[in-house]
Amino acid sequence: MEHLLEAKELSKYYTTPNGPLHAVEQVSFTVDEKTTLGVVGESGCGKSTLGRVLVGLLDATGGDFFFEGENVTHPDKKKRKELRRKMQIIFQDPYSSLDPRMCVSDLIAEPLKALKLARGAELEKQVQELMDTVGLARRFAYSYPHELDGGRRQRIGIARALSVNPRFIVCDEPVSALDVSIQAQVLNLLKELQIEKGLTYVFITHNLSVVKHISHDILVMYCGCMVEKCPSKELFAQPLHPYTKGLLAAIPIPSLHVKKPDIVLSGEVTSPVNPKPGCRFAARCPYVSDLCKQEMPKPQELAPGHFVACHHAKEINSL
Amino acid sequence: MDAKEKMPPVEEAVEEKIPKKRSYFGEIWHRLKKNPVAMVCLVFLCVLILAVVFANFIAPYDYAEADLSLRFALPSAEHIMGCDEQGRDLFSRLLYGGRYSLMVALIAVAIGIVFGMVVGALCGFFGGGLDSVLMRLMDVIMAIPGLMLAICVSVALGSGVVNTALAIAVGTIPIIARQLRGSTLLIRSQEYIEAAQSFGEGYFRIIMRHVIPNTLAPIIVQASLYLGGSIMAIAGLSFLGLGVQPPTPEWGNILNTGLDYIYQFSTRWHVIVFPAMFIILTMLAFNLLGDGLRDAMDPRMRK
Amino acid sequence: MSLLDIQDLSIHFITENGEVKAVNGISLHVDEGRTLGLVGETGAGKTTTALGILRLVPEPGKILSGSITYKGEDILTMPEKDVQDLRGNEISMIFQDPMTALNPVMTVGDQIAEVINRHQHCSGVECQQRMLEILDKVGISSDRAKDYPHQFSGGMKQRIVIAIALACNPKLLLADEPTTALDVTIQAQVLRMINDLKKELGTAMLLITHDLGIVAESCDDVAIMYAGNIVEYGSVEAVFDHTAHPYTVGLFGSLPRLDVDVEFLSPIPGLMPDPINLPSGCPFHPRCKLATRECMEAMPEARELASDHIVRCHHAQQASDSGAVLGDPAYTPPPAMGAALKDEEAGQ
Repeated sequence: MEHLLEAKELSKYYTTPNGPLHAVEQVSFTVDEKTTLGVVGESGCGKSTLGRVLVGLLDATGGDFFFEGENVTHPDKKKRKELRRKMQIIFQDPYSSLDPRMCVSDLIAEPLKALKLARGAELEKQVQELMDTVGLARRFAYSYPHELDGGRRQRIGIARALSVNPRFIVCDEPVSALDVSIQAQVLNLLKELQIEKGLTYVFITHNLSVVKHISHDILVMYCGCMVEKCPSKELFAQPLHPYTKGLLAAIPIPSLHVKKPDIVLSGEVTSPVNPKPGCRFAARCPYVSDLCKQEMPKPQELAPGHFVACHHAKEINSL
Repeated sequence: MDAKEKMPPVEEAVEEKIPKKRSYFGEIWHRLKKNPVAMVCLVFLCVLILAVVFANFIAPYDYAEADLSLRFALPSAEHIMGCDEQGRDLFSRLLYGGRYSLMVALIAVAIGIVFGMVVGALCGFFGGGLDSVLMRLMDVIMAIPGLMLAICVSVALGSGVVNTALAIAVGTIPIIARQLRGSTLLIRSQEYIEAAQSFGEGYFRIIMRHVIPNTLAPIIVQASLYLGGSIMAIAGLSFLGLGVQPPTPEWGNILNTGLDYIYQFSTRWHVIVFPAMFIILTMLAFNLLGDGLRDAMDPRMRK
Repeated sequence: MSLLDIQDLSIHFITENGEVKAVNGISLHVDEGRTLGLVGETGAGKTTTALGILRLVPEPGKILSGSITYKGEDILTMPEKDVQDLRGNEISMIFQDPMTALNPVMTVGDQIAEVINRHQHCSGVECQQRMLEILDKVGISSDRAKDYPHQFSGGMKQRIVIAIALACNPKLLLADEPTTALDVTIQAQVLRMINDLKKELGTAMLLITHDLGIVAESCDDVAIMYAGNIVEYGSVEAVFDHTAHPYTVGLFGSLPRLDVDVEFLSPIPGLMPDPINLPSGCPFHPRCKLATRECMEAMPEARELASDHIVRCHHAQQASDSGAVLGDPAYTPPPAMGAALKDEEAGQ
């Protein structure tokens, strides 16, 4: 089966006064149609940058990126416009991603207008349909974002992304700014929409519980690099990379009956500016060896569909 | 399976009243109407502008008609604001003077805002080399005292309404540009700009639709302050013989002349009080209207 | 006797648009050496409660009624000077955002020493010594005392904030979402550190959080707040294993979890009520599945289900029974987590 999305050693560097910042380093993955790839990592691991590279808001520094089997790493203007209709992005902050001076219906109509997909009465009809789809009451059509709560605002963001009928949506932390009860409403909505419209998601978040709930596959990033990628269930049943293990153990579980492995990762994330050669996780890794400090590990497939970028994955997990 | 049925949308399905849609300016007008202070100012300014424009019908005397027997005549039924040092009707002079003063001041502020906004928005939005070059140029202009700059420009361009306005505007451009650059930088980093880009909006439309409306509010208040400043600057130029020439009246000019007689205030107060009142009331009205407009333009102020 | 005893505390903000009813008659107590988790969503009144304890409710907030008794003395009627002596000394607070809680132009060592100097009246040398001790306790090497806040990462800054809070060996620590701004692995470090220090120093703590996971790991007791009321209150065991209030049940149902698999979450419908126009009766009734006429009309009394479990709900027992449907937290560890556990043991 052909993948809807394929990234091959995708990289994005920023220039800073102190040298290049390796925001995303040689990340490879595939996403099948109608599935969700969860991208997890802590702040500054490059997950948002990756999402923005995918939808073309940032230009990749290296590597290739295929969509519907076509290389779209550096598309020309016409192709880019076509892609904007097929790929969309939902932003993290429902407060800053909506222009405070535009009312709800104008906000939802904006992408349709920008891509010249509808106008006049047709535009109005589509906006109303979209509001129904995302569960926004029509009486809010001429409200302004500040008059709505975070959950409703995020629904506007979702309606905006859906307006162009995309096949693929990058969700960049869409629920992080919301309270739990509202977060659950939005997560359910995203899941329903996926089933209904056959959408493919790349779901970026720092919250492992959320990503587990919504994703089919999960990609764990650390400091710009991919450390582990596998089907969602497998990651939680059998994490192979030492970072993933630490990350899983760090999540507080709202139950008194689950005994978690007692590991607390020491240290903090190293700077991605002019990184040292070798594994990015070496400074915090309990299994570090000389090899780790010299050579960056390549992802290897240790089980079907389970990729791990660690020199010692086999020994650690006694595979 | 229909997912909708399983998880009903959160919004309650009551019979809804969908509010009526208003246009952008309709919305602003609707909010401005609720502000009594701003509305009073608006009415006052409308009356003033009409009176000034139709001065030749309203004014009881010609502005240059001197009658030395009436020097410093106090307000009376014939001369409601009295007469000046040459026995000319003060009220008529102020009406005619408003034509020039208001027009030049308005044009000057308009020029200042438009150029300042273009420069500021471009610098803030694109940054880089363009930003450095333009902003250094602005710094150079700012380093020169305003009146000096105005004198230089009007000497170079000659007199006339537009030229004088331009001379005065040059000094305000860098101030507005600097302010707008700051707010643009702030808005540039907001996610809604990125969102607009992800829909394929071009830079021009992003600046026009998102950046300018969000930066306009503080500029409007600022602009109403510059209006008063401009009226005084015009007087300064006239005094140096670079603005209008006597006997053509102009507010700043009339006030300046009146101020010569400040030591005889008890008997000649009207030559100071009335021109000052015109200038102050106009400034105040513009300022309060600007305040009201700023609030009206911000949907967050809607109750 | 409890270290801190709050009875019937109400705090309202009098604004132009109406009276914001932030806290409406809550009662709770913190015993010496124990940790009480105060859980609720944005706007539930958690932070206002904590500020009320320090008498730091910002204008236009007013403490309308109730008493806050600390070691037998009512904080609300104390002279201002005595309250100042309590703050930072006996009772100290950790704020949510470590980025803004530190003064950027003072070295971190000086900031810690300042608090010690203010309350302990000791000499400069002694102060320095205490400062270095406390830095060591929060895991920051003493040679960094002369560094400025911007030279530290987020997690390190929060450690310094905690060091300032603990500088005078307070009896009670008010921690307002101390780890919300941090990454999970750093959060785990900081939480562990707080727990260890708490044990070592015997400090009692009021931990404000929205994360039920943190409560499960760090707290002895828990109070669930909704719209300025404590709807459920009790020991962690009682509240987690015998959840009785429909709102608490809903909170658990809304959480995507690592340890349970569900296709769709069971969110609480609707939104938090506007604190200016609180619904009549039980404030949760418009969102509650079990609501009846009674709920609309009368605010339920606090009922004692067990000696360590208090609920404010007319239908508490019923909600508890339906808990199983909505995602009862009392379950056995699923195989997934168990496997991870075994795997971990093998790896070590």
